[in-house]
Amino acid sequence: MEIETVPSESKPESNPLPPKPKFEPLKAHEMSDGRVQFRKVSVPPHRYSPLKKYWMDIYTPVYEQMKIDIRMNLKARKVELKTRQDTPDISNLQKCADFVQAFMLGFDVPDAIALLRLDELYVESFEIKDVKTLRGEHLSRAIGRLSGKGGKTKFAIENSTKTRIVIADTKIHLLGSFANIKIARDSLCSLILGSPAGKVYSKLRQVSARLAERF
Amino acid sequence: MIPSAMANSTETAVESLHHIKSTEPPEWLVPKQELSQAVRAASKLLFSSLKPHCPKSTFDQLLTEGFDAEQIWQQIDLQSQPLLSSLRREVKKFEKHPEEISKFKDGGVGGGEKKKVLEQIETDNVVNDDDDEDDDDMDMDEDEDDEEEEDEEGEEEEKERGTEEESENEGAEKGGIEDKFLKIKELREYLEEDEAREFGLKKKKTKAESKKEEEDTEEEGDDDEDENEGSVDDDDEAQEEEDGLGLFDGNDEEDEDDLENARYEDFFSRKKNKSSKEKAKSRDMLEEDSGSDDEQDVDKRKNGPSKHEKELDKLRSKIEEMEKANLDPKVWTMRGEVTAAQRQKNSALEVDLDFEHNVRPAPVITEEVTASLEDLIKTRISEGMFDDVQKARTSSSKAPREIKELDESKSKKGLAEVYEEEFVQKTDPASAPLTFSDELKKEASMLFKKLCLKLDALSHFHFTPKPVVEDMSIQTNVPALAMEEVAPMAVSDATMLAPEEVFSGKGDIKEEAELTKAERKRRRANKKRKFKAEAAKRMGKKARQMTTVGNNDEGREG
Repeated sequence: MEIETVPSESKPESNPLPPKPKFEPLKAHEMSDGRVQFRKVSVPPHRYSPLKKYWMDIYTPVYEQMKIDIRMNLKARKVELKTRQDTPDISNLQKCADFVQAFMLGFDVPDAIALLRLDELYVESFEIKDVKTLRGEHLSRAIGRLSGKGGKTKFAIENSTKTRIVIADTKIHLLGSFANIKIARDSLCSLILGSPAGKVYSKLRQVSARLAERF
Repeated sequence: MIPSAMANSTETAVESLHHIKSTEPPEWLVPKQELSQAVRAASKLLFSSLKPHCPKSTFDQLLTEGFDAEQIWQQIDLQSQPLLSSLRREVKKFEKHPEEISKFKDGGVGGGEKKKVLEQIETDNVVNDDDDEDDDDMDMDEDEDDEEEEDEEGEEEEKERGTEEESENEGAEKGGIEDKFLKIKELREYLEEDEAREFGLKKKKTKAESKKEEEDTEEEGDDDEDENEGSVDDDDEAQEEEDGLGLFDGNDEEDEDDLENARYEDFFSRKKNKSSKEKAKSRDMLEEDSGSDDEQDVDKRKNGPSKHEKELDKLRSKIEEMEKANLDPKVWTMRGEVTAAQRQKNSALEVDLDFEHNVRPAPVITEEVTASLEDLIKTRISEGMFDDVQKARTSSSKAPREIKELDESKSKKGLAEVYEEEFVQKTDPASAPLTFSDELKKEASMLFKKLCLKLDALSHFHFTPKPVVEDMSIQTNVPALAMEEVAPMAVSDATMLAPEEVFSGKGDIKEEAELTKAERKRRRANKKRKFKAEAAKRMGKKARQMTTVGNNDEGREG
């Protein structure tokens, strides 16, 4: 097929079009018209002392690898994060904020650091009352069922689904990839609803085997 | 009709009658004109004389000239039939009311004369019938038959008439004697009473006895009473038959007595249950019998129980038994669903119970059965054809999968490290760090080597341990396939179809639009070649067919 070139009659000017401008991606610093971006994460009272203990473990990767300024506002009891000029990516700030938030929820630092390293990890939280309305003794029993003796049920779920679980009274927090979180959530829900741990184990085994087979 | 002619004809007729009377029987066998004329005249006279007595007569006089014997006979028959029936009626009337005969008798001597004439006429009628039949040219056999019939009829009629005459005579006689007449009435009443008593009694008189009694009563041999007795006899016999069943024994007597005196109390009083048949009733009846008819009973018992009486006794006893059985509560076997509590202990053992067996009965083991089984076993052993179940071995093509045990302790690795390991394994399986089982295996193998070394040192004199060169070769439990191929970063799902199934490489790959001129030409040439080949094939087929048909086509083709 032959393409006929149609002379452009729309433009009377014979000047060629200016070249397309090439823009460099914006730096974090330049975003929002060169203003600095902040994040503030509040510290619950029960995480106060662990924060003090692990402060250096938190500070080092955030400041050095993510290139985000971090500080603790003692008066306000908040951890504040701020972008620097040489912050490579705007998402770093959010990642660091998530990381700190995860620590505040109750996750350990090595677990929370995965948030910094991997993109696809999420934190999901839900309450026991979302699943089933339990009161008094039943609630206590449900919490006991979730964690198991010495936490073994919780660890079993963590190990088989590659997630991390934090059971804080009636609140449950999960950290992991989307599919793994789903599996862990299902097993936790079944535990809350009353199924015995053995049943949950067998299901976990099946599911984890299937997950491993996929690749 | 002319009286003088009538008077003449009557004289000639009477003369002819006398003539007929005088002729010898053999002379009747041969048809004679003279005799036939005489007979015709006589029958004419008789006909006309009888005419006033029958109310509905179609002919005024017997027409004989030019008529066939059959026709003459028909005329006579037409007249005589109603006449006979009326006469019979009259006789029956006299039977029942003999006093009327006396009236008739008193009515006049003419009546008596009339009667005599009637008798004569009727006898003559019979004779005439015979003559008419003779005159006809019928077969002798028929004649004889007819004659016989007629004779019988005649005899019957004569008998009847005879009896009627007798009865009439006797009625006339009785009508005269008052004492006897009264006695007759009494006699009849007594007879009826006796009959009633007879029926009521269980011990029946025999026929002879009853007949004797009847004969005793029948002193004068009255025909009426004979006939009555005859009818009574019949009734008696019938009754006896019925009573033979023994069912109506009790009822009859009482019915006879009570039907007349039936009252409300009889039916709806508790004292006497007339409607139900019970032992009490029979007892009552027995009592009554014994009470009322002692004399007769004594007479009967003298002779002993007769056969019939014995039969009746048997039947009665049977009936009593059956009634008793019906009243008693049933045996447990006839009661439907019965539990163990409702029957006697061990009573089910005595009864032969019938079950439905849903299972096949166990086979009876005979010598033949065992012999056959043993033969079968021997043959199987000799052939080696055992029906053993073979274990189906699953072909182990895959590497034995590692069973991940659920670690119930807190993982030492952080989540990041876990994902890191996963990632590394996905991308580069070879460089993945050792799994837990591999480490265990390694440790185990190390231990074993040490042990073997020690044992060898102990067992062999000239043992020199080889220099152990441990090369750190990492062996990963990874499927060989994974080792060989370079895993792509992006793994796509394989299609269900194999690639050759998706596209085999034949056919027009390029579109019409994509083809160059040369290629288009090539395509067309290919098509044409194919078409020509097919056409040639078809022609070849046709040619083969044509050759079989005929030669014309060949010639044309040639």
